[in-house]
Amino acid sequence: SSAGYDRHITIFSPEGRLYQVEYAFKAISNSGITTVGVRGQDSVVIVTQKKIPDKLLDPSTVTHIFQLTPYVGCVMTGLIADARAQVTRARQEAADFRYKFGYEISTDMLAKRVANINQVYTQHAAMRPLGVSMILIGYDEERGPQLFKCDPAGYYVGYKATAAGAKQQESLNHLEKKLKKDPNLNFEDTVELAINTLSSVLSADFKATEIEVAIVTREDPKFRTLSVAEIEAHLQRIVEKD
Amino acid sequence: MSDRYSFSLTTFSPSGKLVQIEYALNAVAQGVTSIGIKATNGIVIATEKKTASPLIDDSSLEKVANVCPNIGIVYSGMGPDFRVLLAKARKSAQKYKRVYNEYPPTGILVKEVASVMQEFTQSGGVRPFGVSLLIAGYDETGPALYQVDPSGSYWAWKASAIGKNMVNAKTFLEKRYNDDMELEDAVHTSILTLKEGFEGQMTENSIEIGIIGGEATGFTEGKQQPFFRKLTPSEVKDYLANIA
Repeated sequence: SSAGYDRHITIFSPEGRLYQVEYAFKAISNSGITTVGVRGQDSVVIVTQKKIPDKLLDPSTVTHIFQLTPYVGCVMTGLIADARAQVTRARQEAADFRYKFGYEISTDMLAKRVANINQVYTQHAAMRPLGVSMILIGYDEERGPQLFKCDPAGYYVGYKATAAGAKQQESLNHLEKKLKKDPNLNFEDTVELAINTLSSVLSADFKATEIEVAIVTREDPKFRTLSVAEIEAHLQRIVEKD
Repeated sequence: MSDRYSFSLTTFSPSGKLVQIEYALNAVAQGVTSIGIKATNGIVIATEKKTASPLIDDSSLEKVANVCPNIGIVYSGMGPDFRVLLAKARKSAQKYKRVYNEYPPTGILVKEVASVMQEFTQSGGVRPFGVSLLIAGYDETGPALYQVDPSGSYWAWKASAIGKNMVNAKTFLEKRYNDDMELEDAVHTSILTLKEGFEGQMTENSIEIGIIGGEATGFTEGKQQPFFRKLTPSEVKDYLANIA
């Protein structure tokens, strides 16, 4: 039930719900792509679908993976314009931190900053919540590999594995099953689990050009996206395992 | 841009109610239960830590938090709104310290937080906070437990519960509470109260408990005094074993 403008701006509905925030979540499921993130023993991997809806588009400019600092990156799910706005802001916040304090911001602190900004949009009527979920990854010297997700409600938390987008629930079910025994995954297995989860819920075998992958590892804590050749090598390894 | 919203969104209904505040209280009532109990020598606050999925790394989520060495806080309701109030409470405590060179008494800090919450029921273009807070502190007058609601009103309690199961929990507390309770008993009682409404298995990782007073002391500001701290999982485990 609703009363007044509660469906139009972020004020409470009679049950105490925020409809605008709930609708923002719907915008993420309607985006048409699914993204998965998995944290291993000493690496973190994010994978997302790469859908090129028109052959005339330049595929190198279609991406949902963004670098925020040399050591922290993210994958965005939802409205791409809102995604770019949030990425720009996150980069600004990380840069301010580096300037003020003299060292790079950690993944959990940047996630907290993004989440706090999202919370403001749920409380001030003048700004609508953004229709994006941000999955951040990074490698922290003290805490090891980190994986966080920030959503339109202003909520954020660390994960062992998570997903966002159209097939979010199916992906989470798949990941829960695979991680139930609390395995300590090495880098290769982490990548494999992430890619397999996506394949399984979308019932598709991917070509290297149909997915994007980005990683951080203990050996190389810099955030980087894998090239088509590297993705091909991982896919090959998965095929050979079967 | 936000000039367009220079009017309050929380306005009186014909019957004289502020419905946005009532709706905010409904949001709190959907949140997980939190308990606070005042003992003769300290206070315990506790809450369920209900994570929606086993994939969540629950060490990254903190529901019972400290504001300053002598004050702790827990909430029921919307987590993101709590983070904002927690940050404001911490900043307010530091501002007080900068002026008076000691941490604020509980009542003073509570007033500041409550005043922020009230502002958001009256300022332009904002909605009330969807959280109720239990603030536990130990100052010169002894232990004090306060509850603050989305409206910004606050009361001191001997024992209270907020959130989903608050009615049953308060009835339970009314039966169990007595004025001579010590901190150990209070922790024990708070766990029993949480257990009443708990769905599923209660383990040391699915509840968070914070105490101040009793043995929770630390050396701060030049003397040994009550210090807010959270119980470690192994301490919680010991308490759980005692109620089994």
